[in-house]
Amino acid sequence: MNLLLVLALGGLMHAARSFQDAGSIAGTTLAFGFVLLVAFFAGGLSAGVRLPKITGYMIAGIVVGPAVIGLLTPEMVRDLELVDGVAIAMIALTAGNELDLKAFRPLMRSIYWITLLAVVGTAVLLGITVLAMKGILPFMQDIPLLPAAAVALVLGVVMAAQSPAVVVALRDEMEADGPMSRTVLGVVVIADLVVILLFAATSSIAKSMIGTPGEFSDTIGLLAWELLGSLTSGVLVGAILALYLRFVGRSGAALFVVTACFVIAEVGSRLHFDPLLVALAAGMLIRNLTRRGDLLHQEIESASLPVYVVFFASAGAHIDLSVLMSAGIPALIIVIARAAGLIYGARWGARAAGAPTEVRRFAGLGLLPQAGLALALSSIFAKAFPGIGDAARSLMLGVVAINQIFTPAVFQWALRRSGEAGRRAQAETAPAPAESGGLPSPSA
Amino acid sequence: MHAQGPEVVIRIILALVGLLALAYLGGHPWVRQAERRLRIAQLVTAGFPFVALGLVLALPSVGILTDEVLRELSPLLTFGLGWIGFSAGFRLDVRELDHLPKGSARAVGFATALPFAFVVTTAALLLLLASDGSRPSLANPALLRDALVLGTAGAMSAQEAARLLGDAARQQRNLLRLEELAGMIGLAFIAAYFRPQGDAVGWRLPGTAWIFLTVGLGCVLGMLSYAVLQRAKSPAESILLLLGTVAFGAGFGSSLFLAPMVVCFVAGVLVSNIPGDHRQRLRDALSRLERPIYLLFLVIVGAIWEFDDWRGWVLLPCFVGARLLGKWLAETLVRRTTAIDLGEAHWTVRRAPIGQLSIAIVVSAHLLYPTGNLPILETAVLAGAILTEVLAQIIARIGPKPAPESLALGVDP
Repeated sequence: MNLLLVLALGGLMHAARSFQDAGSIAGTTLAFGFVLLVAFFAGGLSAGVRLPKITGYMIAGIVVGPAVIGLLTPEMVRDLELVDGVAIAMIALTAGNELDLKAFRPLMRSIYWITLLAVVGTAVLLGITVLAMKGILPFMQDIPLLPAAAVALVLGVVMAAQSPAVVVALRDEMEADGPMSRTVLGVVVIADLVVILLFAATSSIAKSMIGTPGEFSDTIGLLAWELLGSLTSGVLVGAILALYLRFVGRSGAALFVVTACFVIAEVGSRLHFDPLLVALAAGMLIRNLTRRGDLLHQEIESASLPVYVVFFASAGAHIDLSVLMSAGIPALIIVIARAAGLIYGARWGARAAGAPTEVRRFAGLGLLPQAGLALALSSIFAKAFPGIGDAARSLMLGVVAINQIFTPAVFQWALRRSGEAGRRAQAETAPAPAESGGLPSPSA
Repeated sequence: MHAQGPEVVIRIILALVGLLALAYLGGHPWVRQAERRLRIAQLVTAGFPFVALGLVLALPSVGILTDEVLRELSPLLTFGLGWIGFSAGFRLDVRELDHLPKGSARAVGFATALPFAFVVTTAALLLLLASDGSRPSLANPALLRDALVLGTAGAMSAQEAARLLGDAARQQRNLLRLEELAGMIGLAFIAAYFRPQGDAVGWRLPGTAWIFLTVGLGCVLGMLSYAVLQRAKSPAESILLLLGTVAFGAGFGSSLFLAPMVVCFVAGVLVSNIPGDHRQRLRDALSRLERPIYLLFLVIVGAIWEFDDWRGWVLLPCFVGARLLGKWLAETLVRRTTAIDLGEAHWTVRRAPIGQLSIAIVVSAHLLYPTGNLPILETAVLAGAILTEVLAQIIARIGPKPAPESLALGVDP
């Protein structure tokens, strides 16, 4: 039945497109409705074969997008970016709201070591891999060894980025909870900050080494503005949201949260704030300094499904298969190196921190998904390094595309194997456990 | 980064705080209770502040809802129109119409045709006088179209007007639903016979074919909606599928330069009248989202409202006057020719409030025909909605007070 509905919707969409080259207003609304429905049913089909729903959403986006059958035009896909901003802010708000510092305290050691070894280590490993492939990467061939190493390190940092969006969405979809998924969430959130900082530092060094104009002080200023401005705005937005939840409660709260996410996304991008950091700080403030965290979670949950569906389908529609083909072998090598770095880095990090077995075995798999931040940084890279940026960006897009398509299924498998899938639902139905000060044991 | 520095941040924060305050006021149980107790429509209480907010945010000196931002948000307007149409269609349960008293069709005919005729005549003359002189003729299709749009908007009364009609409220509510149907038919005809021209438009068909296409498309989308909504397993999925079907229907209709509201209205009628347990789920989802979507719709309506055009304010008293005259004549004829109970005295004014559907009709026409006099009509209808509500309230307070009823905007029990 799901397949029939997808086909019927596709037929209707084709009919609508045959009338005119859908103008902006009608085209956006049409595309929004079409993507929402088609991706939802594709998610159902995907779940039918035990794959994550978000993989179905993304595959639907790829198929109906400009790269395959083209029911969505590039303009429509671009217009859907409005939803992307709201989705990123909403996902970050969810992630921040999940970061209960009291509950995460026992995991902080694992998060620290995994971030250091898996994330930073993988960035270095990827830098070395890119440098080793200097001969087969046309854009690297003319750069002398030392500057090439610096550029390779920047690319390594970009490609090491993870995806809080996929982690949050999959935790929700699988109703997963436990030390592994919490550790992964903590790492991907902190890794976002680390990657941004490392990118700023390494790109400044690389720019100065290959002679690209740009003052170091400018970069530091931009970085300070982005980080401090984002965090300050986040505190402010969090305070406003908390006030709303305190004085108005449930009445219209979902609308207010969506509106706040829209403001974060739109205003944040105009002011060069990172919407992710703004929303993250807001969510953390509400969870840790107020008693409204659960209410915020419920309101986000009720409003988030349509936003997630469109966000992941839109991410799929953005994937350019021709870039994937042209990036080919180098992209595949980097994907393998990245996976090895993250999996073994997480394993060693968890061991160093004395984390439970399931964290050692599966946390690395949760770090594999990749999406928004890597895409954003690849765009910044392309602008910052005009001579080589576009070619390098194609490589990065190829890597992100492969990871986007395949890694959510890997993390889903990890959640199932670790026994954390469905544990949130169990916890809600089970009687409240006695205060233990830590997390429930997965084997319990 | 510094081109849009601290002043933008301050403005945005002020806007957010303003929205917070308004949402607080609009959503607070005390306000809702007061609405019910005082029998005031939402346009005046929770609704109008959102129109005003849109208006203020769009002012050049404030510069938040700029043309660029509005362009980005305009799909929300199309979606909002589809939503309003779907909600109105969903309310029209044809089984309830079996219980209408004899003469109901005639009553609805009078109550819509006479205000329509009066408003169209008045508006056509006024628009002719106010035209810039390029084509000052009654045969000017744009002028006729604009007059017909205003007439269609003026033909209907707000669903909420029924609460001011005392013992006759329930019966009148069904008649008001039929008036909405008449309004939708009017808009469908306008969209079908006043087609945009140009190379960008495909499918060159006669006007009658567009009428059939509108109804056919609505039916197809209705059946699709039914099939789609059957798949929902949770309230969150119901909401997602409802949002998707309404957006798809509104976007499809809009792509064909049809009125998205009418297409979604037909789909809503179909979904509502197919038996099944989907209706309760759908009713729940509609009632959950109705207020937020309508309030956001009003913010954008406020932002695109060209309230500083004096011609709209000149048109306002003429529009309200002609409409009331038509309603009064309709009342007289209904009393003389049918046995329908019209309730207490001052039926005309009590039943006068202009509702969300009338506002949506003018906005829908504005989207279909971006050029012309439609901004003037928006002033007349938006301000007219407030004026008629105030008049109805004054009259209702002079006479006996009926028992308070639910003020739900769209989905009635």
